[in-house]
Amino acid sequence: MSATALNRRTLLQRLAQFAALLFVGGGSAVRAKEPSQLDESSLPQLPPPQPDEDVLIRMMRELQRALKKPVHERRWVMVIDLRKCVGCHACTIACIAENKLPPGVVYRPVIEEEIGEYPHVTRRFLPRPCLHCDHPPCVPVCPVHATWKRPDGIVVIDYDACIGCRYCITACPYGARSFDWGEHYSDGTPRRAEYDQSPSPEYGRQWERKGTRSPIGNARKCHFCLHRIEKGMLPQCVTSCIGRATFFGDANDPDSLVSELIAKPNVMRLKEELGTEPRVYYLV
Amino acid sequence: MEVKNMALSEQRMRVYPYYGILALLALVGLVAIGVRLAEGMRVTALSSPMAWGMWVAFYIYFIGLSAGSFLLSTLIYVFGMHQYEKVGRMALLSALFALVAGMLFVWIDLGHPWRFWKVFTRWNYTSVLAWEVLAYLFYIATLGIELWALMRCDLAHLALTVSGWRGKLYRFLTFGFRCPESEAAYRRCHAQSMRVVRILGIIGIPVAIMVHGGTGAIFAVVAAKPYWYTGLFPIIFLVSALASGAALMTFLYAFFGRKDEEHLAITRGMANLMVLFLCIDLLLLTSEFLVGLYGKIPEHIRVYHAILFGPFSYTFWVGQLLVGALIPIALATLPRTRNNIFWLGLGGLSVVIGIVAVRLNLVVPAYVVPVLEGLEHAINQPRWAYTYFPSFWEWASSIGTIALVVLLFSLAFQFLPMFHEFPQRFQAASESR
Repeated sequence: MSATALNRRTLLQRLAQFAALLFVGGGSAVRAKEPSQLDESSLPQLPPPQPDEDVLIRMMRELQRALKKPVHERRWVMVIDLRKCVGCHACTIACIAENKLPPGVVYRPVIEEEIGEYPHVTRRFLPRPCLHCDHPPCVPVCPVHATWKRPDGIVVIDYDACIGCRYCITACPYGARSFDWGEHYSDGTPRRAEYDQSPSPEYGRQWERKGTRSPIGNARKCHFCLHRIEKGMLPQCVTSCIGRATFFGDANDPDSLVSELIAKPNVMRLKEELGTEPRVYYLV
Repeated sequence: MEVKNMALSEQRMRVYPYYGILALLALVGLVAIGVRLAEGMRVTALSSPMAWGMWVAFYIYFIGLSAGSFLLSTLIYVFGMHQYEKVGRMALLSALFALVAGMLFVWIDLGHPWRFWKVFTRWNYTSVLAWEVLAYLFYIATLGIELWALMRCDLAHLALTVSGWRGKLYRFLTFGFRCPESEAAYRRCHAQSMRVVRILGIIGIPVAIMVHGGTGAIFAVVAAKPYWYTGLFPIIFLVSALASGAALMTFLYAFFGRKDEEHLAITRGMANLMVLFLCIDLLLLTSEFLVGLYGKIPEHIRVYHAILFGPFSYTFWVGQLLVGALIPIALATLPRTRNNIFWLGLGGLSVVIGIVAVRLNLVVPAYVVPVLEGLEHAINQPRWAYTYFPSFWEWASSIGTIALVVLLFSLAFQFLPMFHEFPQRFQAASESR
């Protein structure tokens, strides 16, 4: 998406959109942003199915199957098996590396709990991505429609639209949203390090963090690695999990691994009493 | 004439240092705002879990001051309490400038201030904040027109009688309105103005309630913060707004009101209203605290614990309770001070300052409890800290913005006709008759 010069046609279109907005008063014109068409040849090549294959391969196969359906028929969910999580924080780090997250922006922290008293102590780990709620409290509060729930259920942010009021950060009952304060890891050193300048690939664009340009000054959050999903790849936290404790897939596909997992009796979700209907399930 | 000129120059000697200090502070504030715009939000001490801080507190403070002052003016122009007529223009002028201050504060709090216009092009009807922006605009228009209608006869008269740059200013502010030639026409015109003022006042009442009750609702609808999530929360906003409005009028009228035989009576009237609203405010506050503390919901009681005993508990005990309520109530009710204009005015000022603490305590404590237990240890970074104390730039821009608005308000107060004057030429005519 290049910076477009304002020719007459686009100008007229913009004016018409503006007028429509004024009279209709809704945000429907700016809301629909259909994801790009799938190019099947670009999907990763997978080995033929085997009975005891790695769950990552199985999930990738299911992911590619889901991508062939129209967007609104996909229902992305994540399942995290807390019994398998060893608290290595690889997902937290992989997410930061994938999305080139600056200091203060964390999409997937792992909460550690200590239970009991020494010497009878055990620890519990709870990774917390964005839960992509079916009734997300962060979406209706945005004054400018800069965040919404896609037909496939992923809650996204339009960085170019976000005015940075931080109402959504306040409204999220899970602390899943961070503000980009415009800081760099190499602040206070003579030269800005190279890793501080790598553009973030979020939402299929190359976001360079410079000055006060977006995504600086915006709310940011986990998007299930939407840019990877659309290329047939699993979210980075799933791929990097050493214990295979995080699962991802299409809950509308009855044969998918995640469909099997969320039907188990030991499944729970965070703060269900708030009616947010999270799409991240925990196996306990 | 000679005497009047001397009095004027003496007055100038007194006000010049005042304007000088304000201008200096305003300049510092403009520089601070410039730094904030150039550097972005990193100049603040905010963090992601403590997303709103002093700027937002001042935003709701000034919106409250505005709504409170405006609603007070409707007592006169809508409900017919004409004994307070001399406070009316002060109240409307304060409401106008306070609203501008509030909007400035919420503007500098945006991560992308230059995108504020997107609120209009991408307006989201499910967002209370989006509704509020519309309410503010409608409100500011109502206020502006009402104030002009109230002053237009005096402005037109001044435009005829005053020369120099002030005359030019008055001629501009009349927007082409001409002063009627005859006394009868003048009286008719004045009555017509007051009718317009009354209608705009009636329209303004629900708008002002939406402006500040709605500002309270921005917070109250957030189910993730049990401290805010109560039906009483927007009402507390409104009542403390009325208290701050009455307090501002007490202060302004005590020190800058018309020093005639009605001076004490009007000031006391304002002070009594202030006491009434402060008492209702304390009642609502007590109800919220007791109900909140009775339950054992951690997110709820931990917030109250932070307010009452946390590191910033002095803002509650000293700022909110002592300066914001108990001292002014005492000054306005004790026999020794309640008949003294100076002490009454000081009581008003005390509330105007104390309500700042009220606003801070409405916003910041809600953030001290992590939304998920253990989240505070899971992300160990400064921008995910659960403590907040405003940064230098936040202080500088806040003090500077306030100084700028107070400076503009003072100039308007000094040069606009704050009290209705029946034109002398008609007076002379009616006396000779």
